[in-house]
Amino acid sequence: MTGIWRRQSVCFRAGAILVTWVALSLPPASVADSLELALEPAPADLDAKELAHRSDENMRSDQTFFRGKMTVVSPRLTRPRVIAFHSWEDRPGKKSLIRIDEPAKDKGSGFLKLHPNLWMYVPRVERTVRIPPSMMLQSWMGSDFSNDDLMKESSELDDYDHRVLGIDPASSGNVPVRAYVLEYKPHEDAAVVWGKIIAWLDVESGAPLRQDFYDEDGTLLRVMRFSDYRMIGKRHVPHRWSMIPLEKPGHSTVIEVEEMQFDIEIDDQVFTTRNLKRRE
Amino acid sequence: MNLEIRLAWRNVWRNPRRTALSVAATVFAIFLVVLSVGMADGVHEKMIEDAVRISSGHVAISGAGYRDNMTLEQFVPWDGRVEAAIEGAEGLRGWAPRITSFALLSLDDRSQGGMIVGVDPVRERSVTRFSEKLAEGRFLGDNWAPGERELVLGRKLAAKLGARLGDEVLLYGVAYSLETAYELFTLVGTLALPDPRMEKGLAIIHLADASDFYVYEGKITEVALLATDANHSDLLLSQVTAALDADFAGTLEVQGYAEMMPELVQFILLDDAGMYVTLVILIVVVGFGILNTILMAILERAHELGVVLALGLRPAKLFRMIYLESLMLAGVGLAIGLSLAVPLLAWLHGIEIPISGDMSKMTEFIGMEPVMTFTLRAANPIISTLTILFVAALAALYPALKASRARPVEALRSL
Repeated sequence: MTGIWRRQSVCFRAGAILVTWVALSLPPASVADSLELALEPAPADLDAKELAHRSDENMRSDQTFFRGKMTVVSPRLTRPRVIAFHSWEDRPGKKSLIRIDEPAKDKGSGFLKLHPNLWMYVPRVERTVRIPPSMMLQSWMGSDFSNDDLMKESSELDDYDHRVLGIDPASSGNVPVRAYVLEYKPHEDAAVVWGKIIAWLDVESGAPLRQDFYDEDGTLLRVMRFSDYRMIGKRHVPHRWSMIPLEKPGHSTVIEVEEMQFDIEIDDQVFTTRNLKRRE
Repeated sequence: MNLEIRLAWRNVWRNPRRTALSVAATVFAIFLVVLSVGMADGVHEKMIEDAVRISSGHVAISGAGYRDNMTLEQFVPWDGRVEAAIEGAEGLRGWAPRITSFALLSLDDRSQGGMIVGVDPVRERSVTRFSEKLAEGRFLGDNWAPGERELVLGRKLAAKLGARLGDEVLLYGVAYSLETAYELFTLVGTLALPDPRMEKGLAIIHLADASDFYVYEGKITEVALLATDANHSDLLLSQVTAALDADFAGTLEVQGYAEMMPELVQFILLDDAGMYVTLVILIVVVGFGILNTILMAILERAHELGVVLALGLRPAKLFRMIYLESLMLAGVGLAIGLSLAVPLLAWLHGIEIPISGDMSKMTEFIGMEPVMTFTLRAANPIISTLTILFVAALAALYPALKASRARPVEALRSL
């Protein structure tokens, strides 16, 4: 709750009274501060931005179709919650549409991004809901991924400065193979909530291996790991993305890719509020 | 001794004008001190009262760690055991169960995040004053009916959504079961609250609706308890903690308002500290006033003092006489000041004086109604009087010593 309110708006500054409701306390400080990296120096001529771009390119294209399922594990649940969904993304147009297929309660629900606007459609009550920017960090469908993770309103390429930290040898155990370690620092004016992201990229293929997300105080909040690499065309596509939020012990979410199509043609009519309400 | 007292008393009134001025200064000081402290006490009590009656009471029970994250994860099992433990507690004025979480509120093309608070309206009245803060419409009905789903919003939140009474507002959130939670609620009222942040963020629904919405059966996020007054808060806290210890040690957390609202307590401490510094300066000035008066008096009487010393008055007796004179001077001032300040404060006790302008903005910032209140606590006049007496006693030392150590021959020579 805390985080929700803190992120909700900067104007929620400390005040005597609201504190009880809002509890402006900091996130638990117990989380490991930062992991120690014993890195080998990387070649000086590496272009960090280029590496970041190459990594991103393994999972995205200008026009991309996705189908997959998300499995949410939590101490609250007796069995994992599974959400099946598919999506279309038009990267240059900054548009995307996500449609929920399962569970039955949410079937037909949709999320539409027409930059900078975001909508959500809730079929049972037949309402289209505008998602305010303050909600971007909120849990998407009860998972450990945020709305922003799914809707990609912020860009790991455009909103960050990239820097090569070095090479992590596979022997470190942080990642299974030799990897470039990059630090992504958000631009001053970027609408980004992370203080920094540390990314591991496969030296061989350039594919993403792992991303650590830190807050502004330098506390590690969550770790995303990629695995199950399969070739789709020239791309090394990780088919399993697992997210572990460190401040919520026992919680984790895994996205498994069932189908991905890159560089396809998507009709612009897909990305309309009218289509959002069509439930398909 | 008796003679000394009589002589001292007479000496006090030898120069009535000077004495009157000196007494007036003391009267002014004690009057100002008692009234300032009375006002500060009143305002601070009001601040605490206002704060707890619009939040979680003097004492709140929640799942251990709830206040760090405020998620549905930490809950209070609501199966009658906690209720039973609360009911016997001493110093309890009222209690209310709540389910508090976050949701997105949406109407037409507008949406806004809000703090959803599920309450039992009947119980809630025994703790908070939300139902008295209506701007429009009405509060939640006392009787909950399934499917009615009534909603009360802070008025700024309602305005941001463009919601009018009768509108169906969509609440969208994540349930305890991690399912999506969405439901239409009918706006029945809006609240005008002293804290603008609450006006922008607060949404109140029935406890039973919140329980359905968040799939939170048999659980609540907190119980808010109101003590008979702020002074009984600690007693209530320890009582409830003890009562819950048997069944819920380690799983539940009981917190007092000072812990939940440290900013409030710090603000009061800071405010008090500022006031005390001013008052101490005032009292020291009065002390110097007394010092000055008595010093003048003995200089004026140097010849006379020389005579009595020459006649064999023991310096110790003379010291006592002068010392008593000083204390009497202060005593007269204190008596008059107290007889003015205490009845006035008693009369002001409980009266709320509205304030306006910049001051009202400041009180709003700290979430308080813009009113000034006074409280008469016994400690206030007693401690104020003793402090001033103490300073007067210190101030009197020097002239009394000076007089008693005067050498008769020299004193006799002066005019």
